[in-house]
Amino acid sequence: MTKNTTRARRAIALALATSLSFAGMMQGAQAALIGTEQVAAAQQQASTSEGHARLAATLERADVVAALQERGVSIDAARERVAALTDAEAAQVAAQIDQAPAGADSVLGVIVMIFVVLLITDILGFTKIFPFTRSIR
Amino acid sequence: MIARRALCAAAVGTLAGGCALMAPPQTAALRAARDAKQAAPVELTAVPFFPQTVNHCGPAALATVLGHLGIGVSPEVLADGVFLPAREGSLQTEMLAGARRHGALAVRLPGRIDALMTEVSAGRPVVVLQNLGLAIYPRWHYAVLIGHDLSADRLILRSGIERRHLVGFTPFEHTWARGGHWAFAVVRPGELPATASEEAAVQAALGFERVAPARDALRAWERLLAQWPASLVAAVGVGNTRHAAGDLPGAAAAFEAAARRHRDAAAWINLGEVALQLGQRERAAAAAREALAIGGPFADKAQALAQRAVR
Repeated sequence: MTKNTTRARRAIALALATSLSFAGMMQGAQAALIGTEQVAAAQQQASTSEGHARLAATLERADVVAALQERGVSIDAARERVAALTDAEAAQVAAQIDQAPAGADSVLGVIVMIFVVLLITDILGFTKIFPFTRSIR
Repeated sequence: MIARRALCAAAVGTLAGGCALMAPPQTAALRAARDAKQAAPVELTAVPFFPQTVNHCGPAALATVLGHLGIGVSPEVLADGVFLPAREGSLQTEMLAGARRHGALAVRLPGRIDALMTEVSAGRPVVVLQNLGLAIYPRWHYAVLIGHDLSADRLILRSGIERRHLVGFTPFEHTWARGGHWAFAVVRPGELPATASEEAAVQAALGFERVAPARDALRAWERLLAQWPASLVAAVGVGNTRHAAGDLPGAAAAFEAAARRHRDAAAWINLGEVALQLGQRERAAAAAREALAIGGPFADKAQALAQRAVR
């Protein structure tokens, strides 16, 4: 191998390596930005899994449990129903509870009413308060 | 075909007749609280008309509203992207995507007749989905609302092969309610329908950003951010589209504003990435530290950014 071809080869290899690493850098830089859709999805997840958590916490409250049982609603059925909601739906139900007027008695009443509607009357098709319940009629 | 149409007409007629004494909720509310401004009758006569060929109501309705924006595209061309032969119709999502592919933002509208009326009064025709059949035997139909006259109890639609289809509020509300109160308007990037919710506008802009040139998508996000300054997604959208359009300092400024306002890790990370591209290592390292302190689903990216910033 002559000195000249070695030099030529080196030059080609160097050029190739540079362009490759540059391309790699460019691509890395492009791919590294977090997309707008990813941010939207992350934001939704953060706000909505919170909805599930809050509904679950509500169902832990002794007064809610007692009030629901008094009306013949099983707590297990209520938990199952909450688990079946999508994140967005859970957030919607939680928001309805938030909108209830302050004052211990009325809030309890609203919570019980919401769960009773969610669990029973909507599903039986007597009411259509929650758009996502599927009536069995 | 004709028999079917006649059957549907009969079905709608019976329903309307049966309900004549009891107006559906929205119609009743509109009649009770007549807003003088809204009640002023309107007809957008300049809206183009594309008589529908068999089952092509989706492409025809879309061509109608796009044509009104000055985007001339025929239903036949739209049908390739929007019409699903197997379903003999167009899916709602395909309709929205079809508008985006032709350079318009397709924004869902609230399911209220008064919102549709507001848009028409503002000069914006509205695509509505109707179920002209029954819930158990659906006959889906897209039409374009171009006028309203509450005192004369009529709405004016470009519908099927009728240039001026007149329908009373009550039958319209019934068919529209059975279509899920679904409606949308198309706007140029940089505009928004007056009644659009923040969520609907964000969804429209997210879809638009996927297919539109960066400069157009940027205009859409800037408009959203102007209307909802507290929207993190819009702020990040401005940053990302500025970056895609090649405006690195502008992108950095947008990400920094979003990061500070929302304490958001993703905005800090994107600021750091852009700062690196600008050769501002210290700024990138500082952004990475902020993102790491917040944590969350992008913690890995924050870590990687921190390493590259000090390298």
